[in-house]
Amino acid sequence: MTADGLILQAPFALQTATFRRTPKRPMDEAKFEAFYRKTAARIWSYIFRMTGNAATADDLLQKTFFRFLRSNPAIANEDHLRHYVFKTATNLVFDHFREIRRHHQHTVDVPVAFDHRHRDELRHDMMRAFAELKPQERALLWLAHVEGSSHEEIADAIGVKGKSVKVMLFRARKRLAGILTKRGLAPETRHG
Amino acid sequence: MADFDPLEAEVDTWMKQFAAIDDRPHGLPDPGALWVKAKLLQSQAAMERASRPITGIQIAAYLLVAGGWAALVTWKWSALSAWINSFTPSHIILGAAGAQTASSLSLTFVMALIALASVTVMLAFHTILAEE
Repeated sequence: MTADGLILQAPFALQTATFRRTPKRPMDEAKFEAFYRKTAARIWSYIFRMTGNAATADDLLQKTFFRFLRSNPAIANEDHLRHYVFKTATNLVFDHFREIRRHHQHTVDVPVAFDHRHRDELRHDMMRAFAELKPQERALLWLAHVEGSSHEEIADAIGVKGKSVKVMLFRARKRLAGILTKRGLAPETRHG
Repeated sequence: MADFDPLEAEVDTWMKQFAAIDDRPHGLPDPGALWVKAKLLQSQAAMERASRPITGIQIAAYLLVAGGWAALVTWKWSALSAWINSFTPSHIILGAAGAQTASSLSLTFVMALIALASVTVMLAFHTILAEE
């Protein structure tokens, strides 16, 4: 198994992951565009589900990628970059909620219907159910179940210790299951 | 706590259904436009960082000039106030009658005044030209 372009003996692999001796190759426009087309939709969905507002999601998506480019990301594997972008997006979403709290707004944005398809009601119900969770719980569940992030990646993204993630996920799932049951949205109750 | 979470499968199913809903009202921003804007913001930030020392020097220069004017006025306050008073009607009449009026300002003071005025004008021009 090799790291990108680098073949190392096992004891040294971890060291080089920390002390990168190879010069950073910043991302060029073409590579950025390719990466953007692969990840932007997922980032937008994540931010939208977290904030509940499409305009906020648009704004934070742009800010996420501005910060991403400002950090002059070195070309590593895509998983590493994707994790970095999700971490940036999560920080921006948490900053957004702190800003809201500072202005004493206690309600979480729930999207206004912008289409009239028949499944709109279900979408609204699901958004409302998800919005009942705390921002950190939303981030945990999304990163774990939708993005398939590892506990270490989740811990890094939301700024907690790795060992805490398992317990936090357990609690978040329990909370969500309770909310879904209460709203009649749990898989058995919806289809039963 | 057990490793197995009985709610994991149920929550996983629900989360994936939730994530699968396509509710984006419009297309995503163009990556080319984002790239250009990001580079512009970066160069703007770099310019601001580069100009910070110059701004600091400018502020110090303003403070020095203001201090110079304050010192000059304080140094020659009595002569200045007498010179200003010489323009009052009573002093003009007295002067016309040949009476002794206020003493004139020294050459040193006049030269200091000219020098400080020049520095002030140069600083003002520098600020205006730098803004442009």
